[in-house]
Amino acid sequence: MSDLVKSGDGERTHIESKLMRESLLDQKVVDATKTDDEISILPDVNVIALGGQSIIDRGKKVLFPVLDALVEARKNHKLIVGVGGGARTRHTFHVCLDLGIPTGGMAMVAGGVDEQNSKMIGCLLAKHKGVVLNKDHFLDLPLWLEYGMIPIMTGMPPYHYWEPPTGSKRLPSHGEDTGLFMVSEVLGVRSIIYLKDEDGLYSEDPKKNPNAEFIKTTSARELLDRNLPDMLIEPSVLKTMIDARHTRRLQIINGLKPELLTAALEGEQVGTIIYSDDADMP
Amino acid sequence: MTTPSESTQTLDQDNTDRRTIDNKLSEMTLHREDAVQDMGYGDAIRILPNVNVIKIGGQSVMDRGRSSLFPLVEEIAECAKTFDMLLCSGGGTRARHVYSVALDLELPTGVLAAVGVATSVQNARILQMLLAKHGGILMNPEDFEKLTLYFRSRCIPIMIGMPPYEFWEKPAESGRIPSNRTDSGTYLTGEFLGARSVIYVKDEQGLYTDDPKKNPDAKFIPKITASELLDKNLNDLVVEPVVLQNMKNAAHVREIQVINGLIPGNLTKALQGEHVGTIIYED
Repeated sequence: MSDLVKSGDGERTHIESKLMRESLLDQKVVDATKTDDEISILPDVNVIALGGQSIIDRGKKVLFPVLDALVEARKNHKLIVGVGGGARTRHTFHVCLDLGIPTGGMAMVAGGVDEQNSKMIGCLLAKHKGVVLNKDHFLDLPLWLEYGMIPIMTGMPPYHYWEPPTGSKRLPSHGEDTGLFMVSEVLGVRSIIYLKDEDGLYSEDPKKNPNAEFIKTTSARELLDRNLPDMLIEPSVLKTMIDARHTRRLQIINGLKPELLTAALEGEQVGTIIYSDDADMP
Repeated sequence: MTTPSESTQTLDQDNTDRRTIDNKLSEMTLHREDAVQDMGYGDAIRILPNVNVIKIGGQSVMDRGRSSLFPLVEEIAECAKTFDMLLCSGGGTRARHVYSVALDLELPTGVLAAVGVATSVQNARILQMLLAKHGGILMNPEDFEKLTLYFRSRCIPIMIGMPPYEFWEKPAESGRIPSNRTDSGTYLTGEFLGARSVIYVKDEQGLYTDDPKKNPDAKFIPKITASELLDKNLNDLVVEPVVLQNMKNAAHVREIQVINGLIPGNLTKALQGEHVGTIIYED
């Protein structure tokens, strides 16, 4: 795969490969890159997403038991802990919208809140082998995991100024839920569990409507089609999930009941399970 | 701004409520399409409205070597005396090779995106060396906020075209090639800055109904909307389809031009606002 091919002066120099001379914009070429054997990079790891507003912003009484549960769970399972933003992210967006900061600018500055939260969680978990993992050191993950550590990552994906525009919505569409979903998907991990402050997903915000219907199990597409007014997970996770190669299922559990974490890690359904399509149904 | 709610002011460790900061967004769901409509926020500003973002094609320009690239470099240097230009580098042949190797090794999209960056970095460095005597300066995406300094010093900043998504690049609907490559990153750079223009310098006059290198009967399309182009569902496009999707949601950059940079004078004309290639726009 190393032969140089050049047709003449001023022509393109190619390297012999399957994609040589091919336009990567050619749909047929793109379709041909499909595989059923994509490798899982870290198949025995679990990603645990800690909600910013729903868990961390509730303070010690809620957060400490969650951290205890994580330390306990680490005895039997390899974990990556992801951290969201919360009230300060919302405040950031509010200030930025008022000032006319474009979508990419909001995505860039909002990440600071995740960083604050990951530093605090890092300090709280330090004595239990918690370590804050900078995204530039993503490929050091095996090192930390092998030493029994608990890597802690910020949730927002590093799209920064390059966050795609969202029309009149203006707010970034890729937040911590999506960023952590992508950690799970690209690594091909065993499971991803989102810790929020509800038993799972409801047809409406149960804090505002106590009669809201609990949705125990649903496909991502079904959920997108229902177009619910209020969801405790980013719609962009559902859209990404439909095309996912590895993470075809996720569970949302109530972090206010931290004892559920172990059960969820054992594969039990203790919250809402969202799956990609029928073949992935629990 | 309103007064902070009580929960932020008191340190009550028994309180398990969410500590909030009162503002228009503090209690609402942010995921809805209409989340911030009718809330009285003004429009998004343009960060650098005079800047022209120019992508220099990898396979189409860089890989052609001296006889194609040197005249273009001179033209860029000349244009930079009049226009603020930010150059974004493409990938090209070596990007295709590394994708091909990674695909064979059964690696996922995010890994392809992460390894693809390095080819774009190589091309940015090469361009910088060619343009150094004219003020070419390499700008890492981390130094994005220093752009103003470079323009004030009449430099020509050169940055990678790839967006920094890397392992966070979402799986594509089909196949494993990352959807966001150097065309996408270049466009998003322009859109974020609220740039004056986004111009793609390639080796074809613009958009054709098929790959003109393989099909001599392919017809030239001088001007088309992004929506129309997406609806046509052409097998081969001149820019990454995600650029067209993003254009539909854009606040600022609703028009791009693809030009043939191998023809001297085309870049200058395009910068002056002339139509020399294919213009893709969205109302």
